This record gives sequence, structure tokens and C-alpha cells, in this order.
Amino acid sequence: MNNRPELERGSVFGDVEKFRYADSTADTLTNIKINIKKGEIIGVMGRTGSGKTSLLMLLNGLIPHFFEGEFKGNVISNTMNTQRYRVQTLSRFIGMVLQDAETQIFSLTVDKDVAFGPSNLAFDRDKIRNAVTFSLEAVGLKGYESRMTTGLSGGEKQRVAIAGVLAMEPEILVLDEPTSELDPKGKLEIYELLNKLRQKRDVTIIISGHDSEEMLHYVDRLMVMENGKIVWEGKPEKLFTDITLTKNLGICPPEITEIGKLLSNGDKETLYLTVSECVADLTKKLKLSSTPIDNKATNYNSNSPIIIETNNLCYSYDKKSSVLKNINIKIHKGEFVALIGKNGAGKTTFSKHLNGLLRPTNGKIFINGRDAFNINTAELSKTVGYVFQNPDHQIFAASVKEEIEYGLKAYGFDEEEREKRVKNVLRFVGMENYEERHPFSLGKGERQKLAVSSILAMTPQILVIDEPTTGQDWEGALKMMSLLKELHAKGHTIITITHNMRLAADYADRVIVFADGQVVLDDAPANIFKQTDILNKYFITPPQSVLVAQNLKPFGIMDNLLTVNELVENIKSKLN
Amino acid sequence: MLIEYYPINTQLHKLDVRTKLFGFLAITIIAFIFLSPVINFFLVLISLLMLIWAKAPIKRLNLVIKPLIPIFIIMLVITGFTYSPSAFESEFNRNILFYLLPDMGAPFTVGGFQLGLTLVMRILTMVLASSVITFTTQIEDILQLFKKMKMPYQLAFVITTGIRFIPTMQKKAEMIQEAQITRGAEIGTGGMIKRIKSFIPILIPMIVNSLRMSDNLAVAMLNRGFGAMKTSTDLEEIKMTTKDYVISIIIMIILVSAIWARNKNVGVL
Repeated sequence: MNNRPELERGSVFGDVEKFRYADSTADTLTNIKINIKKGEIIGVMGRTGSGKTSLLMLLNGLIPHFFEGEFKGNVISNTMNTQRYRVQTLSRFIGMVLQDAETQIFSLTVDKDVAFGPSNLAFDRDKIRNAVTFSLEAVGLKGYESRMTTGLSGGEKQRVAIAGVLAMEPEILVLDEPTSELDPKGKLEIYELLNKLRQKRDVTIIISGHDSEEMLHYVDRLMVMENGKIVWEGKPEKLFTDITLTKNLGICPPEITEIGKLLSNGDKETLYLTVSECVADLTKKLKLSSTPIDNKATNYNSNSPIIIETNNLCYSYDKKSSVLKNINIKIHKGEFVALIGKNGAGKTTFSKHLNGLLRPTNGKIFINGRDAFNINTAELSKTVGYVFQNPDHQIFAASVKEEIEYGLKAYGFDEEEREKRVKNVLRFVGMENYEERHPFSLGKGERQKLAVSSILAMTPQILVIDEPTTGQDWEGALKMMSLLKELHAKGHTIITITHNMRLAADYADRVIVFADGQVVLDDAPANIFKQTDILNKYFITPPQSVLVAQNLKPFGIMDNLLTVNELVENIKSKLN
Repeated sequence: MLIEYYPINTQLHKLDVRTKLFGFLAITIIAFIFLSPVINFFLVLISLLMLIWAKAPIKRLNLVIKPLIPIFIIMLVITGFTYSPSAFESEFNRNILFYLLPDMGAPFTVGGFQLGLTLVMRILTMVLASSVITFTTQIEDILQLFKKMKMPYQLAFVITTGIRFIPTMQKKAEMIQEAQITRGAEIGTGGMIKRIKSFIPILIPMIVNSLRMSDNLAVAMLNRGFGAMKTSTDLEEIKMTTKDYVISIIIMIILVSAIWARNKNVGVL
């Protein structure tokens, strides 16, 4: 660095010419310049594999200390040159929360785990106790002190991981995609927490993720990565109003800025950052309609035969608590159903009944009219294909071809037929000539596609897919959803679990809302998402465009519109 | 682990880790100095009573003990045949129950059978007594003891962390199995060889998964300041109370008298 930066606690300066992992042939990071002031909240966005995690690992010295390689440059975090201090020492000042919560929990009980960091730093006992209390309260886990860590849900584990780092009282807090496993409500809570930390303790925060809406609202500055470089830096509203640029960088623009952009005419730019801003502005421009119409969306196709039917289905792990209570659902052939609801509402537990991985403790389930209770999973799987949430838990072969053949072999298809099916399915998902690749050499999106392919090869009538877009970037998510759409068009019945309301609104033709093990709403997406009050009760936030349409109903805007484009067209027709 | 720690407040939970380890040591020594199955049976009984007293989920022990049953049977058979009558001091134990081969070949002795029983009881005692410790003692206390004894506490930490991840790995194995069942695999059915074969595909993703996990764990440890200071704070100091001293003395007396009795040839075969 030529001119010595002003060193202030809580600030980060970095000038890294390059970093290349020891076993890699290409540079992971190039020409990285970082200048973060104390108390700033910085968002790091970009495609999967663009180098976000590596960038974050520069900040506390994990690069180059733990992940060795060719490193040229300097990073000064909290006035300390990261090359001169050990990661453990830096951890006192620069806290880092990783993506996988599971491997960040060391103790059996929550309080002991949160105390792990401060005890390593040899804080005295009273200070540790206070830090544990403060951190657990901050992440909303007050009262969880003596809970066993093994019994926590994914979202709770994520919070414990954050609390564990908070308890070390860092001046700089680095979080790598901390929200990827959380439902929308959990996501929002994390961002609220970060905001509070900044206000109360003046903590500098650097967070990576794909949450455009939250980033727009909460971060001061965005850094966008592409191919190991910071290709864009600035205020989030500036990025998100340039829809084309945002999309080119592989980022999903928030619906609200997209609406503003699409409503701008020529020289006059409209910029909306929140739903209320947008509604307030449009209220001025639109004329009150004499007859607000209550538009009811046409219901999903209920004429085709019933393919899945549950009859007072109940499920419980033990006698004390029941996970599913009296589920009555009829799913018709050819439907595209989205199951939504907060973490732990019973969506996955329900879907596992569809192919017999779980059996109802009470009630019945019929697949194609047959009572599924006495049919084993291997048999049911011919009709109901089940794709699990994490592709890494369902890939076990040494090549793509073997992976897809596994099920085909189990069902006794001959070699010729297997070859044919492998080829067909790979062509269909756009992975031709991948036969001999090792599954773990593929990117996350491709592994997810492989997981789907290995089920598709068996041509099940019904496809159940648990969170197909979790952990993927926007482009990956869109690709996966259009793949499902194609399958749907080919006649498959699709049942998918998702936390992404936008995708549910855009793709599904029926949405079932789970809460506390019960079905609380079941209708066409347009009819579901307009019930904002009820959804709020179950911690579900409809897509922003739906909210805008709701609020503009008195002005004659149809309230059964789901996509940004539909809404903008409708508003434009009223404006003229 | 056999039965992992669960925080409830029984007398055994409240005892100091040192008292419990001393008790474990004593019961181990007693089990190994006496050959009589009767005495060893009492040790099994005592360990079992302590588990019940600690309110441990005893049913869970089935998971450990069931797979051992074939081994127990093999042990009984082998010891019965391998000890010739001359190996025993008492007349009774020199008795031969039956011969496997004609012409008095391969005799099965009463003493050998008793010895087999003793070995089985010893294993049961170890399983039960170590469960008492694991169920009633926090890992943190054991680590603290290591530190106090100036033992390599980092090593102990690595081992206990490994233990903490056993349930996680089990869950992962289950998920992989579910994925395979979903694709037509019939796991856990069919003959022995078919069963073993069906478990092989689980190994690959398990190994890949654990390699990834170990890397993540190492990073997470660094992030939490592991090894940042020369010392680390223990949330609760382990402390010997009067009760601990009294119990330790009682254990000592039992142990000494057991050794004395053994020298007087009690409990030999």
C-alpha cells in the first residue's frame, strides 16, 4: 500500500493482488481492494463460486493461514495485519460465522457452546456468563440455555452459531450466507439483529448472501463479486435500479425496484425501495376506481383424477407431541403444488409420507387409489419420485452415469434400456456428455440437477422435490424451476417444498400452507397470497408485487396478479 | 458413546468427575481380579442399579448389547473347550460336562464355562459402568480434569468433539440410506451378505462428507479462538465436596478389602 491508510479499530483495509489455492490452477481472487469503515454494514453478493467465501476468509486471516496458497498483498483488519497474527488471535476481534451451522457447534448444551469462544479467550467467568446471556438474547434464543444442541432445528443451530461468535465480543463480524437455510421470517430476524448490533455496539458487519430485498434495506454498501474480482461496489439502491446490470451479475433484483424501473418512462426514473413508497407514489397517480373488483383466480384443475389422497393423516415421533395433525389433501394428476410454511411446520414430514419413508401413525394415505400403508418404499418409488433437499446426501456413485443407473439397476432394467434412459435424462436436464464425470467435481447446481435426473430416469408419475433452490444462486434457482416447469408440461405431477415465495407464486398452480403440522390454506397461489393478514400470522410474506397489488385494489388494480410484469401491465393500463 | 450425557439432577450427576472415575477404576480392578462369575454378576448388578438410579434410558443399551450376544456365545463355547480340567483349583470346576469328539476328545469343562461367564460379565460391567460415567458427566468436566492433570487437553478435545459428531454422522448415514431406499434399494433386508453389500454405497458419501466436515470443523475451531491463549476459562470449577471424599473413602475401603480377599483365594476358580 502506497499511502498508509488511517488505522482505526473496527475498520478493514485490504489490497490483495492475487490469491490462488495451493491445489488450484486459476486465481481465486484477483485485485481485491477493500476499504471498510467502523460501523458499516457491507453486503457481499454474486454468483455461487464467484469468490465470496474466499473474500470473507481474507478478513480474519483464514486465507492465507489455514487455506494456503499463493498470496500477494496485505489485509489489515482492526489495525492488525492478518499475515502477522494467528487466526485464533484475530478471532478475538474479527468474528466469523460460517455457512454450515452444524460444524460450528461443539458442545452438547446451548449455553456451553456459546461459552466455548469466550472461554478460549480466557475471559473471566462472570464476563462469560454475561456474554452468553447477552448473545442468546440478541439472537432470540433466550431460555434455550440448557437445551441440547443436537435437538435444535436448522434455523436454531444457525442462531446458536451466530451467538457463539457474538459472545466473543468482536469488533468486526463476518457472516458467510447465514440465512441460506432460514425461512423468510428467520432471514429478516437475522438482518434486524445485525442492524441492532451496529446501532448498539458499533460493530462492523460484512455479510454475504442472495437476499436482495434484505440487502437493499439493511446494508450500507454492496460488493459484487464475479470470477474472483469485485466488479461492482456501491449503494444497494444504485445497483438494484439498474435491472439489466443486476441480472447480468447473476443477482435477482428485488421486485419493488423492478416495478419502479418498469414504470419509469424515458427520462423520468421512478425509484421505489419499499412497498409503502411504491404504494404512496402510485396512489397519487392513479384515480380511485368506482368499482373495486374482487378478482378470484381460477382454481387449479380439479377435473383430472385424484392421484394422492390423505385421510386424517396424523404423524408423531412419540406419544407426547404430534408433528402432523389430521391432514386431508387431495392432489390431482398433473398439478404443480408448492408446499410452504415456516421451518418446522411439517412440510418435509408430510412429503416423506408420499413415498412411504414415513408411515402415518393415524389416518390413511392413498396413492393412485391404493392404500399405501402396506406398500414398501422401493415399490412406491416407482410412482412417487422423491428428491431430497441436499444433493450431497443422495449422491453416492463414482460417476454421473453410475449415479443415474443405481435406481434403474435396482428395478431390473437391462443394460440397453439403462443406457438409453441415462442419455435421455442427461439431455433433458442439459448435461450431455457428463456421463463419466465424478459427481463431486460438479457445481452445486449441477449436483442438484443430477439428483433430480437420477429420480427422473425412473419416470415416476409424481415428483416430490424438497427445497430445490436452497443454497443456489438466482440463476441456478431459475434453471431448476424451469426444469420443473418442463417436467410439469410433460405431464408429471409436481410437489415441491419451497421457502421462496416468488418462485411459488410464479411457478405453482396450487399452494398449500402448513403451520404447526396442519394445513391452514390450500388454494391457487393468487388466492393464497392475497390473504396477507392470515399469512402474516404464519410468518409468510407474500412477494412484493402481490403486496403492491393488494394495496392498490381501490384503484382498480387486479389483486390476483402474481408476477411483476402482470402487475406493471395492469398499472400502466390504468395510468393511461 | 454408549449413552450420552443428559442434564438432570441426580446424586450421581452431582458427584465430582474424579469420584466417578475412581469408582469406575475400582469396579474395573475388582472385575479383573476375581474369576468367579458370581462376584462378577454382582458387579453387573451394581452397575445396572447405578444406571437406574441415574435415571438413564436403559433401553438404549440394547443397541450396544444386542450385537454383542453372538460374541458372548462364542466366548462361552471357546473358553469351555480351551481350558483343560487341570487349569482349575477346585474339584467342581474340573468336572467335565461333555466331550465334543469321541474317545474323550475336546472336553467341555465346568470351570471353562464359568470362566466364559465371567468374561461376559466383565464386558457387561464395563459397558454399564462406563455408561454411568458418560450419562452423568459433562464432557467439559472431563476436559477440565485433563487440563488440571496437565494432560494433552487438545487431544482430549479432539476426541470428545469426535464423540459429539457421532449422532450427526448417524443422521447423515440415515439420510443417505433413505435416498437409496427411494431409488429402489432394499436396505436391511435379505441375507447377511446382501445386507452388508447394501451398506457399502453409504461409505463413499460418508467419507466425502466427513472429510468436508473435518475441514469445516478446523476452521470453526480457529474462528472460536481455540488455542488463542495459553489457558482457557472453565465455566464451572470441578470441586470435590465432603460427599465426594466420603464416597471415595468408601470405594477405597471396598477396593482394599477386595484385594485382600483375593489374596486369601476368594473368588478363584
